Amino acid sequence: MISGSSFFNEPIIMLLLRIIRKEIVHNVLSFRFAVTYVLLFTLVVVSMFLMGSQHRTKVDEYIQAEAQFASLMDELAAIPDANEQFQKVTQADLPGARAPRPLAILARGLEGSLPTQVSSRSRFDVKSSDARLGRNVLFDVFQTPDFAYVVNIVLSLLALLFVFDSICGEKEQGTLKILLSNSIPRDTVLLAKWIGGYLSIATPFLVATLGGFVYLSVSGALELRPDDVVRFALITTISLLYVAVFFSLGLFISTATHRGSTALLLSLLVWIVWILVVPNLAPITARLVAPVPSRQVIDAEQQAIDREAQLLQDSIRERKVYGDQEESERIQQDAERKRRKLDQFYNDRMTRQVSFSQGLARLSPSASYLFAVTRLAGTGPVLFDRFRDANDRFQKAQDDWRKDLYRSGNVEATRTGPQVKDKDWFDPDSIPRFQIYSESTGQAIDAAMFDILLLVVFAVLFFMLSFAFFLRYDVT
Amino acid sequence: MLLHIVRKELLDQLRSLRFAIACAVCLLVMLLSSVVLTRDYGEALSTYNMNRVMHRNELEQRTQIWSVNEGITVDRPLNLMNTMVRGLSQELTESVKIQPGNRLDFPESWEGNPVLPLFPAVDFVFIVGVIVSLLALAFGYDAISGEAESGVLKLLLSYSVPRDLVLLGKWIGGFLALIAPFTVSFLLALLLMLLFPEVESDLDASLSLLALFCLALLYLAAIFSLGLFISSRTRLASTSITVLLLLWVAFVLALPNMAPYAVSQIVPIPSQESVRREKAAIRQEWSERIQTTWREEQEKQERDDVYDDALRQRFDDMRLEMEAEVQKISDNQTAQVRHQMRWSAIIARISPMTSFTLASLDLAAAGITQEERYVDALQAFSEKWGVYAEEKQADFRRVMAENRGRMTPELTEQFNHVDLSDAPQFQFSHMPVGDRLTLIYPDVLLLVLWNVIFFMGAWLSFVRYDVQ
Repeated sequence: MISGSSFFNEPIIMLLLRIIRKEIVHNVLSFRFAVTYVLLFTLVVVSMFLMGSQHRTKVDEYIQAEAQFASLMDELAAIPDANEQFQKVTQADLPGARAPRPLAILARGLEGSLPTQVSSRSRFDVKSSDARLGRNVLFDVFQTPDFAYVVNIVLSLLALLFVFDSICGEKEQGTLKILLSNSIPRDTVLLAKWIGGYLSIATPFLVATLGGFVYLSVSGALELRPDDVVRFALITTISLLYVAVFFSLGLFISTATHRGSTALLLSLLVWIVWILVVPNLAPITARLVAPVPSRQVIDAEQQAIDREAQLLQDSIRERKVYGDQEESERIQQDAERKRRKLDQFYNDRMTRQVSFSQGLARLSPSASYLFAVTRLAGTGPVLFDRFRDANDRFQKAQDDWRKDLYRSGNVEATRTGPQVKDKDWFDPDSIPRFQIYSESTGQAIDAAMFDILLLVVFAVLFFMLSFAFFLRYDVT
Repeated sequence: MLLHIVRKELLDQLRSLRFAIACAVCLLVMLLSSVVLTRDYGEALSTYNMNRVMHRNELEQRTQIWSVNEGITVDRPLNLMNTMVRGLSQELTESVKIQPGNRLDFPESWEGNPVLPLFPAVDFVFIVGVIVSLLALAFGYDAISGEAESGVLKLLLSYSVPRDLVLLGKWIGGFLALIAPFTVSFLLALLLMLLFPEVESDLDASLSLLALFCLALLYLAAIFSLGLFISSRTRLASTSITVLLLLWVAFVLALPNMAPYAVSQIVPIPSQESVRREKAAIRQEWSERIQTTWREEQEKQERDDVYDDALRQRFDDMRLEMEAEVQKISDNQTAQVRHQMRWSAIIARISPMTSFTLASLDLAAAGITQEERYVDALQAFSEKWGVYAEEKQADFRRVMAENRGRMTPELTEQFNHVDLSDAPQFQFSHMPVGDRLTLIYPDVLLLVLWNVIFFMGAWLSFVRYDVQ
């Protein structure tokens, strides 16, 4: 191998560039390049078009809900009689609307599993039977065709198809022998093949993504906030990294085989097992390994605790002895502690199960990719937690707000209904609204870093393996 | 002659690497999925049994007359076919709270594990629809073009054998080689499933399993014929695999997923939230009207206690009117949803994968029709419960009316010890197999049609194929 200063390396670099060029030209002229290009462009753009329209509908609904809320506020504020106004305000349902996540266009994740509106009356938004059937269930039959899906499933397959015969195919044709009869180190050949092949699949992908981005920004489906553009770019970068993993894997398979048809079948086998089977089996397997008692069991036990506390309190009341107040409070606190402990237990088990399913799914880079991308899009597994927190906060704030109306001393309950003293009591801005906290881009990157690093490790590992195999490759 | 060709084709395939890979993939995936899904079924079954006892006990422990207003919780019975076809509902069982006033509270998905909805389940439908269909292409792509490349085809056709016989022989041989590992793995997976003590098979389940298997064979035959068709349209094996993979990605991975989204753009439906808001507005208006009427009546009669039979009748009429209006909105929404669903299904059925998936869902009693049946059953039960609750309270109301609302301690005692053990039980049985078969009949026809089209295409191309 030639080594030394950069000056002496120049011929090698020239050679490298030449092989890269040859590789790109070879790929671009091939039939499958045309097919890949058409397929990628169509799928990426159509997916962005469909998901963008879907998002716009959701945004319209959100705006409509907010407008309806505002008009309700106006209506309530316009009531001249303060007493009647008070009655109406306390009776009204003041729902919170959840704004859709803009980057759900790219990775829908859990966005579709959450309600877009929470009622203020009860913690659980009441679903009736038409909520169960009042939607097109065909959406649930197949996976959502978003950008992340196209990259995750389709692009990984296309990357493997691109590269499966780059070594063994050339060997079959005999061109590899001629190439290696020149004084070129094998590592340069492999590197050039990697770079050339990767560029010829990454370029159509980037063009398609750019096309989709232009469509989204022109059509106004994606509001061009700088933060979203950064996230968009990051998601594209992670997608490129994911393609690199599969490209290296394909190269490795190609260096490990001697016939193109064998390499193709092996690539398909690996793709099926690794992309379709491992990540999809992981959540159910994790559920079996790390079970969580159902929510109803926890609820029933909490009810049992309440009943026990109630019985104890009743017996104390019957005794009618001095100092009962303290004991009664102690029982109350005890029950409260037990309830909280049960909740804690449930949450711990659920967290364990979730982290277990994530860990198991991460055996496949497909899951790492999905976790990283949904994290950046703000639609990943944490969205459920955030939604629960936001909902709890919203309900508590609403409760407090309603209680404060009475506590402030402004209202007096009389036989004919509540009497309001201060006639200007109603302040629509004081009504608590529903608000989900979203991560800053920096935080999201930090959280996704583990998965990104995992992808880097996979890419490097497969490239190293293909390097090791290619050095020993029998070209004759 | 045909037998010779079939035998040659079969032997060719059996000795190939792809046969080994097909065996490995089928066995691995089917057995893994069978173990995992059956274990999951077992867990769900014990959850179901536990929850049912728990909810029954909870009901029987209630003693106060007021507690019938708290509603009742029922559990969804399990479906054995879910070990093969997961179906539309995420969970195999669920507890539904039936509230007074015909309200059903379903559990929320966001209370569960957030990783589950991110990944599709690897069930029989997924395995056959995606994985084995890809294998079918791998078996068929070089049947013609590969042999033309290697020159074997020329040799074969130099004998006095008609081309249609050659094609038929190739089809039979190749398809047998494809379904052999598939059938063996399927049988092994079934055997494995039966080893689990929780699994109790009945005639319905066995019949629908058999039908499901036949459906899978029909679908695979269509895909295999497509492979043969493209193979006889191309000269190079590498071209035919590229074209086939393109078609596979488009028709299996993209089209069924994209069709509902595309249709929802063309045939939009109002969102559930807006419908709910509309209904809430009507209810709000109704309660305001009731209040106004009440106040007007008070002013007119100049006393507080104005509630009598005439007024009650008026309120009831107003309530009925309101409910009719709400029902109209619901019906309208349902009709629109059905319309959109029908069109999505029609467009998505351009891909044979959709026909196979939807037919499997129906066959396994886990599809859209069954979901509607389940909700109907819940609603019927909810009405039954309403009648029961009404009966229980009727006695109480009568006594209250007789005593003019004053309760003696004896009466309180009596109504604090109500027996709810005779409450109605929620019964739900899945659709009988005969009905399910009539349901999937159009999809089966469609799959047969695909088979015929692709095989005809292959035949027409092959009789003109230039073997030089």
